[in-house]
Amino acid sequence: MSTAQISMPAEFFSQLSVNFKKMPVWAQSTINSILGMSILLFMWWIGGLLIANNPDTEAFADFAPGPALSALWALIGTEFLNDTIISSLERIIYGLFWGIVIGVPLGVLMGYFVGMRQVANMPFQFLRMISPLAWMPIAVLAYDTWDGAIVFLIVMATVWPIVFGTAHGVQRIDPNWFRVARNLGADGFQMLRRVIMPAIAQDVFAGIRLAVGVAWVVLVPAEYLGVTSGLGYAINDARDTLAYDTLAAMVVVIGVIGYLLDAVAVFLIKRYSWHAS
Amino acid sequence: MSTASPIWISDLTHYYNRKQEMPTLDDINLSIPQGQLTALIGRSGCGKSTLLQMVAGLLMPTEGAVRIRAHTVTKPSAKWNMMFQKPSLYPWMTVRENAALGLVFAGTYKQKKDRVEELLDMVGLSEHKDKNVQDLSGGQQQRVALARSLATEPEVLLLDEPFSALDAFTRTALQTEVAQICHDQNITMVLVTHDIEEAVAMADQVVIMSHNPGQIVGEKHIPLDYPRDRNSGEFITLKDELFAEFEKIDQAKQKKPFERLEVPKREVKPPVDDSLQQAS
Ligand SMILES: Nc1ncnc2c1ncn2[C@@H]1O[C@H](COP(=O)(O)OP(=O)(O)OP(=O)(O)O)[C@@H](O)[C@H]1O
Ligand SMILES: [Mg+2]
Repeated sequence: MSTAQISMPAEFFSQLSVNFKKMPVWAQSTINSILGMSILLFMWWIGGLLIANNPDTEAFADFAPGPALSALWALIGTEFLNDTIISSLERIIYGLFWGIVIGVPLGVLMGYFVGMRQVANMPFQFLRMISPLAWMPIAVLAYDTWDGAIVFLIVMATVWPIVFGTAHGVQRIDPNWFRVARNLGADGFQMLRRVIMPAIAQDVFAGIRLAVGVAWVVLVPAEYLGVTSGLGYAINDARDTLAYDTLAAMVVVIGVIGYLLDAVAVFLIKRYSWHAS
Repeated sequence: MSTASPIWISDLTHYYNRKQEMPTLDDINLSIPQGQLTALIGRSGCGKSTLLQMVAGLLMPTEGAVRIRAHTVTKPSAKWNMMFQKPSLYPWMTVRENAALGLVFAGTYKQKKDRVEELLDMVGLSEHKDKNVQDLSGGQQQRVALARSLATEPEVLLLDEPFSALDAFTRTALQTEVAQICHDQNITMVLVTHDIEEAVAMADQVVIMSHNPGQIVGEKHIPLDYPRDRNSGEFITLKDELFAEFEKIDQAKQKKPFERLEVPKREVKPPVDDSLQQAS
Protein backbone atom coordinates (compact mmCIF):
# COMPACT_ATOMS: atom_id res chain seq x y z
CA MET A 1 0.00 0.00 0.00
CA SER A 2 2.79 2.37 0.88
CA THR A 3 4.61 1.63 -2.39
CA ALA A 4 1.49 2.62 -4.35
CA GLN A 5 1.47 5.97 -2.62
CA ILE A 6 5.13 6.62 -3.37
CA SER A 7 4.80 5.78 -7.04
CA MET A 8 1.83 8.08 -7.42
CA PRO A 9 3.68 11.34 -8.17
CA ALA A 10 6.31 9.53 -10.23
CA GLU A 11 3.57 7.96 -12.28
CA PHE A 12 1.83 11.28 -12.60
CA PHE A 13 4.96 12.93 -13.99
CA SER A 14 5.86 10.10 -16.31
CA GLN A 15 2.28 10.15 -17.62
CA LEU A 16 2.57 13.90 -18.05
CA SER A 17 5.80 13.63 -20.01
CA VAL A 18 4.34 10.91 -22.24
CA ASN A 19 1.33 13.09 -22.99
CA PHE A 20 3.55 16.10 -23.59
CA LYS A 21 5.63 14.23 -26.13
CA LYS A 22 2.48 13.25 -28.00
CA MET A 23 1.55 16.89 -28.55
CA PRO A 24 2.31 18.65 -31.82
CA VAL A 25 5.65 20.42 -31.89
CA TRP A 26 4.16 23.92 -31.97
CA ALA A 27 2.12 23.18 -28.83
CA GLN A 28 5.21 21.85 -27.06
CA SER A 29 7.23 24.92 -27.96
CA THR A 30 4.41 27.27 -26.90
CA ILE A 31 4.09 25.54 -23.56
CA ASN A 32 7.85 25.69 -23.05
CA SER A 33 7.94 29.39 -23.91
CA ILE A 34 5.15 30.12 -21.44
CA LEU A 35 7.04 28.09 -18.86
CA GLY A 36 10.21 30.12 -19.46
CA MET A 37 8.39 33.45 -19.16
CA SER A 38 6.66 32.23 -16.00
CA ILE A 39 10.01 31.39 -14.44
CA LEU A 40 11.33 34.84 -15.33
CA LEU A 41 8.26 36.53 -13.87
CA PHE A 42 8.50 34.37 -10.77
CA MET A 43 12.13 35.32 -10.22
CA TRP A 44 11.28 38.98 -10.69
CA TRP A 45 8.51 38.58 -8.11
CA ILE A 46 10.87 36.89 -5.65
CA GLY A 47 13.41 39.67 -6.24
CA GLY A 48 10.69 42.23 -5.52
CA LEU A 49 9.81 40.49 -2.25
CA LEU A 50 13.46 40.40 -1.17
CA ILE A 51 13.88 44.10 -1.92
CA ALA A 52 10.67 45.04 -0.13
CA ASN A 53 11.57 43.01 2.98
CA ASN A 54 15.08 44.38 3.33
CA PRO A 55 15.08 47.67 5.26
CA ASP A 56 18.06 48.91 3.22
CA THR A 57 16.27 48.56 -0.10
CA GLU A 58 12.59 48.84 0.71
CA ALA A 59 12.48 52.27 -0.98
CA PHE A 60 12.86 50.43 -4.29
CA ALA A 61 9.88 48.13 -3.71
CA ASP A 62 8.16 49.51 -6.78
CA PHE A 63 10.56 47.49 -8.94
CA ALA A 64 8.35 44.47 -8.27
CA PRO A 65 6.18 43.09 -11.05
CA GLY A 66 2.90 44.35 -9.53
CA PRO A 67 3.66 48.09 -9.50
CA ALA A 68 5.79 47.88 -12.65
CA LEU A 69 3.11 46.19 -14.72
CA SER A 70 0.39 48.52 -13.53
CA ALA A 71 2.65 51.48 -14.39
CA LEU A 72 3.18 49.91 -17.81
CA TRP A 73 -0.56 49.47 -18.24
CA ALA A 74 -1.08 53.13 -17.45
CA LEU A 75 1.68 54.15 -19.89
CA ILE A 76 0.51 52.13 -22.86
CA GLY A 77 -1.04 54.34 -25.49
CA THR A 78 0.11 57.58 -23.88
CA GLU A 79 1.75 60.18 -26.02
CA PHE A 80 4.74 60.11 -23.69
CA LEU A 81 5.43 56.42 -24.23
CA ASN A 82 4.80 56.61 -27.97
CA ASP A 83 7.18 59.56 -28.37
CA THR A 84 9.78 57.83 -26.24
CA ILE A 85 9.64 54.68 -28.33
CA ILE A 86 9.59 56.55 -31.63
CA SER A 87 12.66 58.63 -30.67
CA SER A 88 14.61 55.52 -29.79
CA LEU A 89 13.50 53.63 -32.89
CA GLU A 90 14.41 56.58 -35.10
CA ARG A 91 17.95 56.59 -33.76
CA ILE A 92 18.21 52.84 -34.24
CA ILE A 93 16.91 53.06 -37.79
CA TYR A 94 19.29 55.87 -38.76
CA GLY A 95 22.19 54.04 -37.17
CA LEU A 96 21.29 50.78 -38.82
CA PHE A 97 20.77 52.51 -42.15
CA TRP A 98 24.26 53.97 -42.11
CA GLY A 99 25.66 50.74 -40.73
CA ILE A 100 24.23 48.93 -43.75
CA VAL A 101 25.24 51.60 -46.27
CA ILE A 102 28.82 51.50 -45.02
CA GLY A 103 29.03 47.87 -43.91
CA VAL A 104 27.65 46.01 -46.92
CA PRO A 105 30.00 47.47 -49.55
CA LEU A 106 32.97 47.06 -47.21
CA GLY A 107 31.92 43.48 -46.58
CA VAL A 108 31.59 42.80 -50.31
CA LEU A 109 35.11 44.13 -50.92
CA MET A 110 36.46 42.12 -48.01
CA GLY A 111 34.74 38.95 -49.12
CA TYR A 112 35.73 39.33 -52.74
CA PHE A 113 39.37 40.37 -52.57
CA VAL A 114 41.72 38.23 -50.51
CA GLY A 115 44.09 41.18 -50.22
CA MET A 116 41.37 43.42 -48.83
CA ARG A 117 40.51 40.71 -46.34
CA GLN A 118 44.10 40.43 -45.19
CA VAL A 119 44.48 44.18 -44.88
CA ALA A 120 41.15 44.82 -43.19
CA ASN A 121 40.76 41.83 -40.92
CA MET A 122 43.04 42.83 -38.03
CA PRO A 123 42.03 46.50 -37.79
CA PHE A 124 38.33 45.63 -38.09
CA GLN A 125 38.52 42.91 -35.47
CA PHE A 126 40.36 45.40 -33.27
CA LEU A 127 37.77 48.13 -33.75
CA ARG A 128 34.94 45.66 -33.26
CA MET A 129 36.17 44.87 -29.77
CA ILE A 130 35.98 48.48 -28.63
CA SER A 131 32.73 49.20 -26.85
CA PRO A 132 30.81 51.65 -29.02
CA LEU A 133 30.27 53.73 -25.87
CA ALA A 134 34.01 54.31 -25.69
CA TRP A 135 33.63 56.53 -28.77
CA MET A 136 31.37 58.89 -26.83
CA PRO A 137 33.93 61.65 -26.23
CA ILE A 138 34.93 61.60 -29.89
CA ALA A 139 31.31 61.53 -30.99
CA VAL A 140 30.49 64.53 -28.84
CA LEU A 141 33.40 66.46 -30.33
CA ALA A 142 32.56 65.49 -33.88
CA TYR A 143 28.83 66.15 -33.83
CA ASP A 144 26.96 69.35 -33.02
CA THR A 145 23.90 67.55 -31.75
CA TRP A 146 23.49 64.81 -29.21
CA ASP A 147 21.28 62.99 -31.70
CA GLY A 148 24.09 62.95 -34.25
CA ALA A 149 26.49 61.64 -31.63
CA ILE A 150 24.14 58.82 -30.64
CA VAL A 151 23.56 57.78 -34.25
CA PHE A 152 27.34 57.75 -34.69
CA LEU A 153 27.69 55.42 -31.69
CA ILE A 154 25.06 53.11 -33.14
CA VAL A 155 26.85 53.07 -36.46
CA MET A 156 30.04 52.09 -34.64
CA ALA A 157 28.08 49.25 -33.08
CA THR A 158 26.35 48.03 -36.25
CA VAL A 159 28.99 48.22 -38.99
CA TRP A 160 31.20 45.41 -37.79
CA PRO A 161 28.70 42.58 -37.63
CA ILE A 162 27.33 43.71 -40.98
CA VAL A 163 30.80 43.88 -42.54
CA PHE A 164 31.74 40.42 -41.30
CA GLY A 165 28.35 38.90 -42.15
CA THR A 166 28.47 40.27 -45.70
CA ALA A 167 32.09 39.19 -46.20
CA HIS A 168 31.21 35.70 -45.05
CA GLY A 169 28.31 35.57 -47.50
CA VAL A 170 30.45 36.73 -50.41
CA GLN A 171 33.14 34.19 -49.58
CA ARG A 172 30.58 31.41 -49.78
CA ILE A 173 29.57 32.32 -53.34
CA ASP A 174 30.38 29.47 -55.71
CA PRO A 175 32.53 30.98 -58.52
CA ASN A 176 30.69 28.72 -60.95
CA TRP A 177 27.53 30.75 -60.31
CA PHE A 178 29.26 33.71 -61.97
CA ARG A 179 30.51 31.60 -64.85
CA VAL A 180 27.10 30.10 -65.52
CA ALA A 181 25.32 33.45 -65.29
CA ARG A 182 27.82 35.12 -67.59
CA ASN A 183 27.42 32.21 -69.95
CA LEU A 184 23.64 32.67 -69.93
CA GLY A 185 24.11 36.29 -70.94
CA ALA A 186 23.77 38.13 -67.63
CA ASP A 187 24.90 41.75 -67.56
CA GLY A 188 26.42 43.36 -64.49
CA PHE A 189 23.14 44.52 -63.03
CA GLN A 190 21.46 41.15 -63.56
CA MET A 191 24.43 39.45 -61.94
CA LEU A 192 23.99 41.66 -58.90
CA ARG A 193 20.23 41.26 -58.72
CA ARG A 194 19.83 37.56 -59.55
CA VAL A 195 23.06 36.06 -58.29
CA ILE A 196 25.03 38.16 -55.81
CA MET A 197 22.20 39.64 -53.76
CA PRO A 198 20.21 36.46 -53.25
CA ALA A 199 23.41 34.53 -52.60
CA ILE A 200 24.53 36.78 -49.74
CA ALA A 201 21.14 37.97 -48.43
CA GLN A 202 20.88 35.52 -45.57
CA ASP A 203 24.38 36.26 -44.32
CA VAL A 204 23.79 40.00 -44.56
CA PHE A 205 20.61 39.62 -42.53
CA ALA A 206 22.41 37.43 -40.02
CA GLY A 207 24.93 40.28 -39.64
CA ILE A 208 22.06 42.76 -39.32
CA ARG A 209 20.50 40.60 -36.62
CA LEU A 210 23.68 40.76 -34.56
CA ALA A 211 23.93 44.48 -35.31
CA VAL A 212 20.39 45.15 -34.10
CA GLY A 213 21.15 43.30 -30.88
CA VAL A 214 24.29 45.32 -30.17
CA ALA A 215 22.67 48.60 -31.28
CA TRP A 216 19.70 48.14 -29.01
CA VAL A 217 21.94 47.38 -26.06
CA VAL A 218 24.12 50.41 -26.78
CA LEU A 219 21.23 52.78 -27.40
CA VAL A 220 19.94 52.97 -23.83
CA PRO A 221 23.19 54.04 -22.13
CA ALA A 222 23.85 56.39 -25.06
CA GLU A 223 20.52 58.05 -24.38
CA TYR A 224 21.50 58.67 -20.75
CA LEU A 225 23.63 61.48 -22.12
CA GLY A 226 22.39 64.81 -23.32
CA VAL A 227 19.20 63.96 -25.17
CA THR A 228 15.76 64.57 -23.71
CA SER A 229 13.84 61.80 -25.41
CA GLY A 230 14.03 58.06 -25.87
CA LEU A 231 13.97 55.03 -23.62
CA GLY A 232 17.36 55.66 -22.06
CA TYR A 233 16.34 59.22 -21.20
CA ALA A 234 13.03 57.97 -19.77
CA ILE A 235 14.85 55.51 -17.52
CA ASN A 236 17.25 58.14 -16.30
CA ASP A 237 14.40 60.57 -15.72
CA ALA A 238 12.40 57.96 -13.79
CA ARG A 239 15.41 57.34 -11.58
CA ASP A 240 15.82 61.04 -10.85
CA THR A 241 12.15 61.38 -9.96
CA LEU A 242 12.23 58.15 -7.89
CA ALA A 243 9.48 56.69 -10.11
CA TYR A 244 10.79 53.15 -9.84
CA ASP A 245 7.62 51.57 -11.17
CA THR A 246 7.95 53.60 -14.37
CA LEU A 247 11.62 52.70 -14.52
CA ALA A 248 10.82 49.00 -14.35
CA ALA A 249 8.05 49.46 -16.90
CA MET A 250 10.58 51.03 -19.28
CA VAL A 251 12.87 48.06 -18.81
CA VAL A 252 9.99 45.83 -19.86
CA VAL A 253 9.35 48.02 -22.91
CA ILE A 254 13.03 47.81 -23.88
CA GLY A 255 12.94 44.02 -23.61
CA VAL A 256 9.75 43.69 -25.62
CA ILE A 257 10.90 45.97 -28.44
CA GLY A 258 14.31 44.30 -28.54
CA TYR A 259 12.58 40.95 -28.82
CA LEU A 260 10.38 42.20 -31.66
CA LEU A 261 13.33 43.70 -33.55
CA ASP A 262 15.14 40.41 -33.27
CA ALA A 263 12.05 38.53 -34.44
CA VAL A 264 11.91 40.71 -37.57
CA ALA A 265 15.58 39.94 -38.28
CA VAL A 266 15.00 36.22 -37.75
CA PHE A 267 12.05 36.36 -40.12
CA LEU A 268 14.20 38.03 -42.78
CA ILE A 269 16.99 35.48 -42.34
CA LYS A 270 14.50 32.64 -42.80
CA ARG A 271 12.82 34.36 -45.70
CA TYR A 272 16.10 34.76 -47.60
CA SER A 273 17.76 31.57 -46.51
CA TRP A 274 18.45 29.12 -49.30
CA HIS A 275 20.00 26.28 -47.38
CA ALA A 276 18.24 22.95 -47.70
CA SER A 277 16.16 22.41 -44.59
CA MET B 1 24.17 26.21 -95.46
CA SER B 2 23.14 23.39 -93.19
CA THR B 3 26.30 21.41 -93.80
CA ALA B 4 28.61 24.40 -93.36
CA SER B 5 30.71 24.47 -90.22
CA PRO B 6 29.39 26.86 -87.65
CA ILE B 7 32.57 26.73 -85.55
CA TRP B 8 36.03 27.49 -86.93
CA ILE B 9 39.14 27.36 -84.81
CA SER B 10 42.17 28.60 -86.68
CA ASP B 11 45.85 28.72 -85.72
CA LEU B 12 44.94 28.85 -82.07
CA THR B 13 47.79 28.79 -79.56
CA HIS B 14 47.47 29.49 -75.90
CA TYR B 15 49.80 30.15 -73.01
CA TYR B 16 48.31 30.63 -69.56
CA ASN B 17 51.56 32.16 -68.52
CA ARG B 18 54.25 33.90 -70.54
CA LYS B 19 56.94 31.91 -68.72
CA GLN B 20 55.54 28.58 -69.89
CA GLU B 21 58.04 26.66 -72.00
CA MET B 22 55.33 24.64 -73.67
CA PRO B 23 52.08 26.16 -74.88
CA THR B 24 48.94 24.78 -73.22
CA LEU B 25 47.39 24.62 -76.67
CA ASP B 26 49.58 24.42 -79.74
CA ASP B 27 48.42 25.48 -83.19
CA ILE B 28 44.88 24.13 -83.03
CA ASN B 29 42.98 24.04 -86.32
CA LEU B 30 39.53 22.56 -86.30
CA SER B 31 36.16 22.97 -87.93
CA ILE B 32 33.09 21.55 -86.34
CA PRO B 33 30.15 20.39 -88.47
CA GLN B 34 26.65 21.79 -88.09
CA GLY B 35 24.02 19.86 -86.16
CA GLN B 36 26.42 17.09 -85.18
CA LEU B 37 28.08 15.99 -82.02
CA THR B 38 31.85 16.24 -81.94
CA ALA B 39 33.71 14.66 -79.05
CA LEU B 40 37.06 15.99 -77.87
CA ILE B 41 39.04 13.32 -76.04
CA GLY B 42 42.43 13.35 -74.42
CA ARG B 43 44.26 12.74 -71.19
CA SER B 44 43.68 14.86 -68.14
CA GLY B 45 45.45 18.19 -68.49
CA CYS B 46 45.79 18.18 -72.28
CA GLY B 47 43.78 21.39 -72.59
CA LYS B 48 40.29 20.22 -73.49
CA SER B 49 38.54 22.49 -71.04
CA THR B 50 40.77 25.36 -72.04
CA LEU B 51 39.85 24.94 -75.69
CA LEU B 52 36.15 24.65 -74.89
CA GLN B 53 36.19 27.78 -72.77
CA MET B 54 37.69 29.64 -75.70
CA VAL B 55 34.88 28.49 -77.94
CA ALA B 56 32.45 29.67 -75.26
CA GLY B 57 34.13 33.06 -75.09
CA LEU B 58 35.02 32.62 -71.42
CA LEU B 59 38.74 32.74 -72.20
CA MET B 60 40.71 34.50 -74.96
CA PRO B 61 43.47 32.63 -76.81
CA THR B 62 46.99 34.05 -76.92
CA GLU B 63 47.07 33.64 -80.70
CA GLY B 64 44.56 32.69 -83.32
CA ALA B 65 40.81 32.92 -83.11
CA VAL B 66 37.55 31.09 -82.74
CA ARG B 67 34.73 32.00 -85.04
CA ILE B 68 31.15 31.01 -84.77
CA ARG B 69 29.73 31.64 -88.24
CA ALA B 70 30.85 35.12 -89.20
CA HIS B 71 31.35 36.21 -85.62
CA THR B 72 34.74 36.17 -83.92
CA VAL B 73 34.16 34.99 -80.39
CA THR B 74 35.26 37.57 -77.84
CA LYS B 75 32.70 37.15 -75.10
CA PRO B 76 30.09 34.68 -73.89
CA SER B 77 26.67 34.65 -75.45
CA ALA B 78 23.51 32.70 -74.80
CA LYS B 79 23.73 31.61 -78.46
CA TRP B 80 26.69 29.42 -77.65
CA ASN B 81 26.12 27.88 -74.33
CA MET B 82 28.33 25.84 -72.07
CA MET B 83 27.35 23.07 -69.69
CA PHE B 84 29.83 22.28 -66.95
CA GLN B 85 30.78 19.17 -65.04
CA LYS B 86 28.85 20.39 -62.03
CA PRO B 87 25.30 21.59 -62.61
CA SER B 88 25.93 24.79 -60.56
CA LEU B 89 22.26 25.50 -60.05
CA TYR B 90 21.10 28.43 -57.95
CA PRO B 91 19.82 27.00 -54.67
CA TRP B 92 17.51 29.93 -53.95
CA MET B 93 15.50 29.23 -57.10
CA THR B 94 13.07 26.47 -57.95
CA VAL B 95 13.70 24.02 -60.77
CA ARG B 96 11.57 26.14 -63.08
CA GLU B 97 13.29 29.40 -62.14
CA ASN B 98 16.69 27.84 -62.72
CA ALA B 99 15.68 26.52 -66.13
CA ALA B 100 14.20 29.89 -67.09
CA LEU B 101 17.18 31.99 -66.03
CA GLY B 102 18.70 32.51 -69.49
CA LEU B 103 15.34 33.71 -70.78
CA VAL B 104 14.95 35.99 -67.75
CA PHE B 105 18.35 37.53 -68.55
CA ALA B 106 17.31 37.98 -72.19
CA GLY B 107 14.00 39.51 -71.09
CA THR B 108 12.01 36.98 -73.11
CA TYR B 109 10.70 34.70 -70.36
CA LYS B 110 7.13 36.03 -70.60
CA GLN B 111 6.85 35.13 -74.28
CA LYS B 112 8.66 31.81 -73.94
CA LYS B 113 7.22 30.38 -70.73
CA ASP B 114 5.92 27.35 -72.62
CA ARG B 115 9.38 26.46 -73.85
CA VAL B 116 10.62 26.09 -70.29
CA GLU B 117 7.70 23.81 -69.42
CA GLU B 118 8.27 21.69 -72.53
CA LEU B 119 11.97 21.35 -71.86
CA LEU B 120 11.42 20.31 -68.26
CA ASP B 121 8.89 17.73 -69.46
CA MET B 122 11.37 16.54 -72.06
CA VAL B 123 14.16 15.99 -69.53
CA GLY B 124 11.74 14.13 -67.26
CA LEU B 125 11.25 16.71 -64.53
CA SER B 126 7.50 17.32 -64.95
CA GLU B 127 6.77 16.46 -61.34
CA HIS B 128 9.64 18.47 -59.90
CA LYS B 129 9.15 21.90 -61.45
CA ASP B 130 8.31 23.68 -58.22
CA LYS B 131 10.86 21.89 -56.07
CA ASN B 132 13.96 23.43 -54.62
CA VAL B 133 16.91 22.21 -56.67
CA GLN B 134 18.68 21.07 -53.51
CA ASP B 135 16.03 18.36 -53.14
CA LEU B 136 16.96 16.73 -56.46
CA SER B 137 19.39 13.90 -57.16
CA GLY B 138 22.64 14.60 -58.98
CA GLY B 139 21.23 13.28 -62.26
CA GLN B 140 18.08 15.37 -61.91
CA GLN B 141 20.18 18.45 -61.20
CA GLN B 142 22.21 17.87 -64.33
CA ARG B 143 18.93 17.60 -66.26
CA VAL B 144 17.89 20.99 -64.92
CA ALA B 145 21.20 22.37 -66.14
CA LEU B 146 20.55 20.80 -69.54
CA ALA B 147 17.08 22.36 -69.72
CA ARG B 148 18.58 25.70 -68.66
CA SER B 149 21.17 25.49 -71.45
CA LEU B 150 18.60 24.56 -74.06
CA ALA B 151 16.02 27.17 -73.03
CA THR B 152 17.82 30.02 -74.77
CA GLU B 153 17.77 28.01 -78.02
CA PRO B 154 21.53 27.99 -78.47
CA GLU B 155 22.99 27.18 -81.87
CA VAL B 156 25.95 25.63 -80.18
CA LEU B 157 26.07 23.66 -76.96
CA LEU B 158 29.45 22.99 -75.36
CA LEU B 159 29.60 20.19 -72.84
CA ASP B 160 32.56 19.85 -70.47
CA GLU B 161 32.37 16.36 -68.98
CA PRO B 162 28.77 16.94 -68.01
CA PHE B 163 28.11 13.35 -66.99
CA SER B 164 31.28 12.41 -65.18
CA ALA B 165 29.84 12.96 -61.71
CA LEU B 166 26.80 10.74 -62.34
CA ASP B 167 26.17 7.08 -61.60
CA ALA B 168 26.44 4.66 -64.52
CA PHE B 169 22.69 4.23 -65.11
CA THR B 170 21.91 7.93 -65.13
CA ARG B 171 24.97 8.62 -67.22
CA THR B 172 24.02 6.13 -69.93
CA ALA B 173 20.45 7.46 -70.08
CA LEU B 174 21.58 11.08 -70.35
CA GLN B 175 24.22 10.25 -72.97
CA THR B 176 21.52 8.78 -75.19
CA GLU B 177 19.12 11.67 -74.56
CA VAL B 178 21.65 14.40 -75.28
CA ALA B 179 22.79 12.78 -78.54
CA GLN B 180 19.11 12.55 -79.49
CA ILE B 181 18.48 16.23 -78.69
CA CYS B 182 21.52 17.25 -80.74
CA HIS B 183 20.17 15.62 -83.87
CA ASP B 184 16.46 16.30 -83.29
CA GLN B 185 16.94 19.99 -82.62
CA ASN B 186 19.85 20.51 -85.00
CA ILE B 187 22.13 21.90 -82.31
CA THR B 188 25.86 21.75 -82.89
CA MET B 189 27.46 20.12 -79.88
CA VAL B 190 31.04 19.77 -78.69
CA LEU B 191 31.56 17.26 -75.91
CA VAL B 192 34.73 17.12 -73.85
CA THR B 193 35.34 13.78 -72.21
CA HIS B 194 38.06 11.34 -71.27
CA ASP B 195 35.67 8.44 -71.47
CA ILE B 196 36.22 6.67 -74.80
CA GLU B 197 33.01 4.71 -74.52
CA GLU B 198 31.06 7.93 -74.01
CA ALA B 199 32.66 9.39 -77.11
CA VAL B 200 31.78 6.38 -79.25
CA ALA B 201 28.25 6.24 -77.81
CA MET B 202 27.44 9.86 -78.53
CA ALA B 203 29.62 11.42 -81.18
CA ASP B 204 29.47 11.72 -84.96
CA GLN B 205 33.20 12.32 -84.92
CA VAL B 206 35.91 12.15 -82.31
CA VAL B 207 38.85 14.54 -82.15
CA ILE B 208 41.89 13.14 -80.36
CA MET B 209 44.15 15.43 -78.39
CA SER B 210 47.62 14.88 -76.98
CA HIS B 211 49.22 16.71 -74.06
CA ASN B 212 52.38 18.74 -73.48
CA PRO B 213 51.71 20.61 -75.64
CA GLY B 214 47.99 20.30 -76.20
CA GLN B 215 47.55 19.47 -79.85
CA ILE B 216 45.13 17.66 -82.11
CA VAL B 217 46.66 14.41 -83.29
CA GLY B 218 43.78 12.69 -85.01
CA GLU B 219 40.16 12.59 -85.92
CA LYS B 220 37.80 9.67 -86.27
CA HIS B 221 34.39 9.41 -87.83
CA ILE B 222 31.80 7.28 -85.99
CA PRO B 223 29.44 5.99 -88.69
CA LEU B 224 26.86 4.37 -86.37
CA ASP B 225 23.11 4.99 -86.24
CA TYR B 226 21.34 6.16 -83.12
CA PRO B 227 20.40 4.69 -80.71
CA ARG B 228 23.67 2.82 -80.52
CA ASP B 229 24.10 -0.70 -79.27
CA ARG B 230 27.12 -0.67 -77.00
CA ASN B 231 27.57 -4.42 -77.35
CA SER B 232 27.59 -4.52 -81.14
CA GLY B 233 30.77 -5.63 -82.91
CA GLU B 234 31.15 -2.29 -84.71
CA PHE B 235 30.86 -0.34 -81.48
CA ILE B 236 33.51 -2.45 -79.78
CA THR B 237 35.83 -2.27 -82.79
CA LEU B 238 35.61 1.53 -82.87
CA LYS B 239 36.31 1.68 -79.16
CA ASP B 240 39.35 -0.60 -79.54
CA GLU B 241 40.66 1.49 -82.41
CA LEU B 242 40.47 4.63 -80.29
CA PHE B 243 42.25 2.91 -77.41
CA ALA B 244 44.96 1.85 -79.85
CA GLU B 245 45.39 5.47 -80.97
CA PHE B 246 45.99 6.50 -77.38
CA GLU B 247 48.51 3.74 -76.89
CA LYS B 248 50.41 5.02 -79.90
CA ILE B 249 50.42 8.53 -78.44
CA ASP B 250 51.60 7.22 -75.08
CA GLN B 251 54.48 5.33 -76.65
CA ALA B 252 55.59 8.37 -78.59
CA LYS B 253 55.28 10.49 -75.44
CA GLN B 254 57.34 8.08 -73.38
CA LYS B 255 60.28 8.63 -75.66
CA LYS B 256 59.90 12.40 -75.84
CA PRO B 257 57.60 13.54 -73.08
CA PHE B 258 57.82 17.26 -73.73
CA GLU B 259 57.90 17.54 -77.50
CA ARG B 260 55.14 18.14 -79.91
CA LEU B 261 54.14 15.11 -81.92
CA GLU B 262 54.72 15.19 -85.65
CA VAL B 263 51.33 15.34 -87.24
CA PRO B 264 50.42 16.58 -90.69
CA LYS B 265 49.58 20.28 -90.71
CA ARG B 266 45.83 20.50 -90.49
CA GLU B 267 44.28 22.79 -93.05
CA VAL B 268 41.20 24.62 -91.92
CA LYS B 269 40.01 27.50 -94.02
CA PRO B 270 37.42 29.60 -92.31
CA PRO B 271 34.90 31.20 -94.65
CA VAL B 272 36.16 34.50 -96.00
CA ASP B 273 33.34 36.75 -95.11
CA ASP B 274 33.15 40.30 -96.26
CA SER B 275 30.34 40.82 -93.78
CA LEU B 276 32.23 40.38 -90.54
CA GLN B 277 29.38 42.08 -88.75
CA GLN B 278 28.31 40.99 -85.33
CA ALA B 279 26.13 37.96 -85.83
CA SER B 280 25.03 37.47 -82.27
N1 LIG C 1 43.81 29.07 -64.96
C1 LIG C 1 44.93 28.39 -65.27
N2 LIG C 1 46.14 28.94 -65.08
C2 LIG C 1 47.27 28.28 -65.39
N3 LIG C 1 47.28 27.03 -65.91
C3 LIG C 1 46.11 26.42 -66.12
C4 LIG C 1 44.88 27.07 -65.82
N4 LIG C 1 43.86 26.22 -66.12
C5 LIG C 1 44.44 25.12 -66.60
N5 LIG C 1 45.79 25.23 -66.61
C6 LIG C 1 46.73 24.21 -67.10
O1 LIG C 1 46.50 24.03 -68.47
C7 LIG C 1 46.53 22.67 -68.81
C8 LIG C 1 45.24 22.25 -69.47
O2 LIG C 1 44.17 22.36 -68.53
P1 LIG C 1 42.68 21.95 -68.90
O3 LIG C 1 41.84 22.23 -67.72
O4 LIG C 1 42.30 22.57 -70.16
O5 LIG C 1 42.83 20.37 -69.08
P2 LIG C 1 41.73 19.29 -69.41
O6 LIG C 1 42.14 18.62 -70.65
O7 LIG C 1 40.38 19.88 -69.38
O8 LIG C 1 41.91 18.28 -68.20
P3 LIG C 1 40.81 17.43 -67.42
O9 LIG C 1 40.47 16.29 -68.29
O10 LIG C 1 41.52 16.99 -66.18
O11 LIG C 1 39.67 18.34 -67.14
C9 LIG C 1 46.82 21.92 -67.52
O12 LIG C 1 48.17 21.58 -67.51
C10 LIG C 1 46.49 22.90 -66.43
O13 LIG C 1 47.34 22.70 -65.34
MG1 LIG D 1 38.71 19.70 -68.04
